[in-house]
Amino acid sequence: MIARGTARPRPASSFELYSWFFMRISAIIMVLLVGFHLFYMHLILGVDAIDFEIISARWSSPFWRLYDFFMLTFAWLHCTNGVRIVLDDYSHSQGWRVFIKSILYLFAFIVIVLGSYVVFTFQP
Amino acid sequence: MAAFTGWFRAVTYRGREGQIAWMLHRVTGLGVFFFLALHILDIFLVSFGPELFDSLLFFYHQFLLKLAIVFGLFPGVLYHGLNGMRIIAIDFWPNLGRKQAMLWRIQIIVFAAAYIPSAILMLLSMFGSH
Repeated sequence: MIARGTARPRPASSFELYSWFFMRISAIIMVLLVGFHLFYMHLILGVDAIDFEIISARWSSPFWRLYDFFMLTFAWLHCTNGVRIVLDDYSHSQGWRVFIKSILYLFAFIVIVLGSYVVFTFQP
Repeated sequence: MAAFTGWFRAVTYRGREGQIAWMLHRVTGLGVFFFLALHILDIFLVSFGPELFDSLLFFYHQFLLKLAIVFGLFPGVLYHGLNGMRIIAIDFWPNLGRKQAMLWRIQIIVFAAAYIPSAILMLLSMFGSH
């Protein structure tokens, strides 16, 4: 039975809605980007073949730099948001949750900055 | 023992396909999180030049790590991606939710069809017939 006139209370912030939407959008983009990345790197080239030369040749083209930048950024934001949701599920103490999430966000910032730095400043 | 029975109960709780799908999604997601952190940071090292980067590649060329890629990372990413697409499909076409268990079974067949040949290919190149 659905009681009439008792609509679900609207959340104070729409952050979780955007988070939900971001996970879907980034997932669809990553199925293409990561799918091709894994197919090419693991099935065509093979892990043994990858070295500085290969990366250098790949990043001689701005297309692959942008490709890697988008893959890195979407993947890491998707990862961080996923871990945030897992932390909300299992950490029941407010102080501990704030602490561990601060580390998670700081780490996300470092990973994205270092990754973007090398993608855009690399000199072959 | 208590911990083990706790785990056993969690895994055999009557959630069936949906629960297993959710557990695998979570486990593979967390696994990819740790691998990807390592992977982005190791690629950052190319900015220090070829000598340093190539001298550290032995890490990815170890036998155990290659096994972990073939039997952990690769199927993990593949499962997480396929399961995510199933979730998105159900989100946008809610009627599919009634068939979610069957969709998950189809997803496992698609997973096997993509993973088994890929794993064979990777194992063949690992054992030298490249």
